[in-house]
Amino acid sequence: MSVKKQVSENSKKIEIFIDGRFDFSLHQHFRDAYANCTEKGQVFTLNLGATSYMDSSALGMILLLKDHAESHSGSVVITKPSESVNKILEIAQFHRLLTIEQ
Amino acid sequence: MTTFSEKRNIKLALVVDDSLMQCKVLSVLLKEEGYRVFTANDGARGVAMYIKYKPDLVLMDINMPIMNGYEAARKIKGLSQDNSLCPLIFITSMDTDQAFIESIDAGGDGILVRPFSPNVFKAKIKSIQRISDLYGQVKTLQQAQQKDAELAEQLMSGVIEARNFSRDRIGIIRQAAEIFSGDIQLTALAPNGDVNVMLGDFTGHGLRSSIGAIPLAETFRAMTKKGFSLFEIITQVNHQLYDLLPADLFLAAGFVSISNHNASMYGFNAGLPDGYLFSELGDVKYQLASSHPPLGVLPNLLPDSQLTVVSIAETDRMILISDGIVEARNEAGDMFEFERFERAAKKGVIEGDVCKDMLQAVNDFCKDMPQEDDISLIDIPCGGWEQLLVGSHDFESFPDKLLSDTSIKTPPAWHWQLSLSGKRLSVINPIPMAMSQINEIEGHADHWQSLYTILTELFINSLDHGVLGLSSDLKASADGFVEYFKEREHRLRNLDEGFVELQLSHHPVPNGGRVIIKIKDSGQGFDITKYYRDRELASPQKLKLSGRGIDLVEQLCDSLDYQNDGTVVEASYVWTS
Repeated sequence: MSVKKQVSENSKKIEIFIDGRFDFSLHQHFRDAYANCTEKGQVFTLNLGATSYMDSSALGMILLLKDHAESHSGSVVITKPSESVNKILEIAQFHRLLTIEQ
Repeated sequence: MTTFSEKRNIKLALVVDDSLMQCKVLSVLLKEEGYRVFTANDGARGVAMYIKYKPDLVLMDINMPIMNGYEAARKIKGLSQDNSLCPLIFITSMDTDQAFIESIDAGGDGILVRPFSPNVFKAKIKSIQRISDLYGQVKTLQQAQQKDAELAEQLMSGVIEARNFSRDRIGIIRQAAEIFSGDIQLTALAPNGDVNVMLGDFTGHGLRSSIGAIPLAETFRAMTKKGFSLFEIITQVNHQLYDLLPADLFLAAGFVSISNHNASMYGFNAGLPDGYLFSELGDVKYQLASSHPPLGVLPNLLPDSQLTVVSIAETDRMILISDGIVEARNEAGDMFEFERFERAAKKGVIEGDVCKDMLQAVNDFCKDMPQEDDISLIDIPCGGWEQLLVGSHDFESFPDKLLSDTSIKTPPAWHWQLSLSGKRLSVINPIPMAMSQINEIEGHADHWQSLYTILTELFINSLDHGVLGLSSDLKASADGFVEYFKEREHRLRNLDEGFVELQLSHHPVPNGGRVIIKIKDSGQGFDITKYYRDRELASPQKLKLSGRGIDLVEQLCDSLDYQNDGTVVEASYVWTS
């Protein structure tokens, strides 16, 4: 499966990994990765280190994650996007909506 | 397609077996399950019966004279490619792997090996019928979806795109990945002769991605027509899409307004790849990069958002694209990318048909690879728009008697006025309000476009030169307008005093009317006699970048008069129906 999740011991940090293409086909898996994380103040890290491609529905899915995190007083951080994925984030000006760490 | 069996509630079964005894046994069991049964004793006859009755289920023996079961199964499966899955089960006593594999290869949906008990047989029939029903449901849903998509496509091309402005001069590529494209291209003419263009790309594609298309098109067109500025339109579109769409649906969009009047292009890119301004030789003059997240993501535009202003020559071309072009892939998995785009665009600009050359280049690159995303492009010529406006105003046709002053002596049929001061001046555009009053009272008519131009020019003069104290000298050079615009933005943001007062009164005359426009501002005024003197001295051949607004207003009005040292301007506009 190309969506993996890692939860820290105190369950405050949730890291989600996307392997390969990040597109609409991952919709359900991606949602499942965070839907039951409803504790207050959790930090969701979306690790795109192994993501080869991302389309606009993936951007939409990230916005859903952001909504979910913020409705539980948490936040979203995107990490390690490759050059091509970063280009897509840049065109969409996502660095103005959430934190992106190289 | 409705088949013979679908019209009735009773299901039909076809039993093909050369043994009359077997036919009889299976028929009895099937009848107990509620089927009406037909029988055939060889494969060829079985195929003929299948064509005639279109049954819901076929039971097939393997070894038969004339045509064996495998061949008959292949023929039947070849015939039933349309909508319904007619399940076909082989009934055999050959309990071998080979028989099983061949049955499935021939198109069989299952195999039952004799001997079996009546209950096992019935269970098998039930399970296969369940699959068949599911298949039917999927097919029905798929057809309904297809119909919806076709309807939406019709609506899109027939209603939204057919209403685009100047479809002969503005080139558009719209090649959808599915029937219904998530991309939308809109063009509309503003009352002052500016041309507004938008290329949008909704998240994903297909029907889901396009629910925002109709309200978007309506807003874009209505606001352009009413004379709202491009920035006001973008602000409203963003707001509307935010309210309307779920969080994961949004619109990446590029907006461009071409103003021949100011020799400038105003642009805004929210999430699209760079837009390109090309010279007539195909050189890249400017790239309009994305400066804002897509529209519909945030409730309001980011506070530092503003339009980009670029000086243009009439021979330039502005091109907007969606990511479908640069991300189109060939067999090796390489993307088309910007370099190939720029090369194809350059060729197109020089040869005069960007759309044709671009499609050619993308198709040559992708060959037979299926298209993954919508491909779209808008190619806008930067010149030739202003003539269109002035040319459409036939000023000579006014009868002289209407121009006499008698009509103003009688009291106006109506009077409207608005005074804006301080900060309100920087955020409120009173022109659409004024136009909406006129349209509501006097009805909609094409000649209000000229009135709109007069109002806009006079109001902007009062605001820019009167209240903001900007000098037209700033516009002296070719890039001057860009400088002017920046300074204007800066002063507007810091504005907290001053006022502009706008008055309109309408005096009906036979077959028409006369509108008196009076605008007063809090500025210092200016030396009108000097203005006219300078204008007379200016060589007509010299490229003039300021004062064109007043020339235009003079052409459109029957009188234009400055009072109180230039702090009050009064114009009279006469129309006939």
